[in-house]
Amino acid sequence: MSLLTFKMLFQKSGTPSSILAIALLVAILASMNSIINHINSQAEALSGLVNIGGTYVMLSKESSSITSSEVDAQLTRLLRSVTDVNYVLPQKIFKANLTTNNGGETVLVRGVEDIDLFFNLRGGCLDGAKAKGRGEACVGEILARIVFIDLGDQINLTINGEAHKVRVVGTFTTMTQSDSELIVPIEAAYNLTSSEGKASMIEFTLKADAEKDAIQNLVEFLPKDVRIIKIQQPKKFIQDMNAQTLSFLNLWSSAVYVVVVAASHVVATRLVTEASYDLAMLRALGSKRKLLFTSVLTYMITVALLGSILGLAMGIVGAQMASTAVRWVWPSIDTNPFLEIGQALRILLLTLASSIFGCTYPALRSAFKTYMEQPL
Amino acid sequence: MRLIGFRYLRRQRILTLASILTLTSMLFSITAFSFLGFYNGFNAYLGEGEDIVAIYDSGSRTPFSGLVPMYLAERMSLVDGVSASSPEVIAPGVIKDESIFIRGIVPEQFSKLNTLTIVEGDMLDLADVNFAIVGKRLCERLSLKFGDKVPVLGVFAEQYLEIQIKGIFESHSTMDDEVLVPLYVGQWLRAVDYSCVTVIRVKIDKGEASPNKLYEEIAKEASEPSTSEGEGENLTEGITPVAKMSFRIEDVGVEEAQKFMKSHLDRYGVTKETLLILSIVIFIFASASATSASTTLIHQHKHEIEILRSVGASDKTIKADLLVKVFVWSLVSSALGIILATATLMAFERVGYLQVLSHRILFQLDPLAVSLSFTLISLLVGISITRSAVKR
Repeated sequence: MSLLTFKMLFQKSGTPSSILAIALLVAILASMNSIINHINSQAEALSGLVNIGGTYVMLSKESSSITSSEVDAQLTRLLRSVTDVNYVLPQKIFKANLTTNNGGETVLVRGVEDIDLFFNLRGGCLDGAKAKGRGEACVGEILARIVFIDLGDQINLTINGEAHKVRVVGTFTTMTQSDSELIVPIEAAYNLTSSEGKASMIEFTLKADAEKDAIQNLVEFLPKDVRIIKIQQPKKFIQDMNAQTLSFLNLWSSAVYVVVVAASHVVATRLVTEASYDLAMLRALGSKRKLLFTSVLTYMITVALLGSILGLAMGIVGAQMASTAVRWVWPSIDTNPFLEIGQALRILLLTLASSIFGCTYPALRSAFKTYMEQPL
Repeated sequence: MRLIGFRYLRRQRILTLASILTLTSMLFSITAFSFLGFYNGFNAYLGEGEDIVAIYDSGSRTPFSGLVPMYLAERMSLVDGVSASSPEVIAPGVIKDESIFIRGIVPEQFSKLNTLTIVEGDMLDLADVNFAIVGKRLCERLSLKFGDKVPVLGVFAEQYLEIQIKGIFESHSTMDDEVLVPLYVGQWLRAVDYSCVTVIRVKIDKGEASPNKLYEEIAKEASEPSTSEGEGENLTEGITPVAKMSFRIEDVGVEEAQKFMKSHLDRYGVTKETLLILSIVIFIFASASATSASTTLIHQHKHEIEILRSVGASDKTIKADLLVKVFVWSLVSSALGIILATATLMAFERVGYLQVLSHRILFQLDPLAVSLSFTLISLLVGISITRSAVKR
């Protein structure tokens, strides 16, 4: 009986246009998703072209900034014992008031364990000598230009209210933040800040042939009060950019699903109107309300399912055709829209859910109408 | 026979049609407003006025990735009719686990091109090593406060640095989603030396200078470089070493800033027209449901229409009457759809979901899109009612 009822409803003249109405809405979603997928995949491919370095820094877990971070310098030895680790460079960074004949400035001072290695890693060039002991410092090019310091100048550094005389023995350029800093040996930094054995951070690099999960293994190996940060983040940047596009697409899609709900409501209303005679007859013959309700619901699910499948196909084919046309007009634009299976399934399920939601009210109304109320 | 005063269409049934028309109009408006908002925002990224000219790398595929010689900014500052020459480096970065854009600037020159209102703290100075000013919207998004010290991770460069927030600014533009730092900090993050910048923006007096004139000056510089070192105004106050470098004139472009940005979108076939056409295509796809709703409305009233026919109303009269009655509803639905779309987009914007390339899309009520919404809905209803009403 239910199969016959369904067959009767499905043969109504409005069915093809109902399927088409749902299909066109799904096609919008499918084509938009496939185009965004292409754009995102291109962006990810671009991020792969950026030369990613393998440098990490270890900071204390609770610190909000590098200058406020305190890491046990003993961890340097621990890191050096790890086979996957290449270079290890503990650094102590602190603020100091710099006074010269030309005035004063608050500057960052960086204590570095191995100054040669520090410059090598940054591809920097040093003019003069490297600083040795607490009375010497190298000054970055930008800082030197701002406070007018020259090689051999004597500068005054005030740290925690205590004044220290330091001679500038070298100037350097690294094209990093260090160009605006003073570099001193790490022992001098510990001494000047009275924080023996407490580095601000430990910079390290992994060997080129390091295992994929080397960092994960390292994290398990280290104390819980430190965190490791990769200092170059092209993949994360692209992922974030893609996520922004996707979140907009998802919100835009929700507007389409609202239209699907309304469209399903219209389709169900149209069906109930077109089949009013048949439904009244069924009620007169003793059909239960449940049968009428499930028949309308099944009809709607079938229409939504067929519409979704047709829409997905139309959307992908349409996007492919449009991209081919674009390639003819602008040969430099190579677009290859594609839809992932997961996305296709999600569209299908959300369309089905929206359709069920949209048709529930007309289906219930038709089921609860007595045959006397049904217009013939 | 006049039917205007005769209410034979049931309100509840008309409301069903009106609601689907409203939703179709809303979908069209959301698509058109957000797409056009992105388009307008992107075009205005480097400035909107005709007096702002961009000097850029003509071989670059995006406005953010090119490089031009920095010393050209100093040369341009000497050209008659140039009131400001702002070299800028745009670099991506990561702050507090969020991807953002950081712009290296020469504050004195930059503020001649863009009016920044400092809402908290102070304006940036080129000598402010390790300081930055942050756009108000970005501050809200990342919960940043005046005086905060934040680590910045590089994207192009293997760099990490720490900056302190010296001020929070508001510009009522896409710049409110950026961090402004001294030029050299941008150069570190972009992994270029002190002689290169992403773009040079020049403010000109249209009566005295033009993009062509600037191009001629640059062409002259490319063919016969001036011999004296550091010729031109010292824009960086001697803080960064600006070396003169040779370049090919073919690698440098000069254009009004807005046209320069537009040309990047044009290159990918993204124009205002194509975005509107795309929105119309989406409307057409969604219109099948509206057509179905119109047909259903007529179908639901077929008895009433038959009665009208039997009492002498001609098809033409019925059609005209239906059109008038539904046309009013279609106008109301279009307006409601536009209002709903605006409210939805405003809500999206407020929660920060309307973002492209870490910049919030500032959507605008485009008059063309609004008029298109009214026209398309009216046309759709007109055609579908006319087609359905004549069927006996």
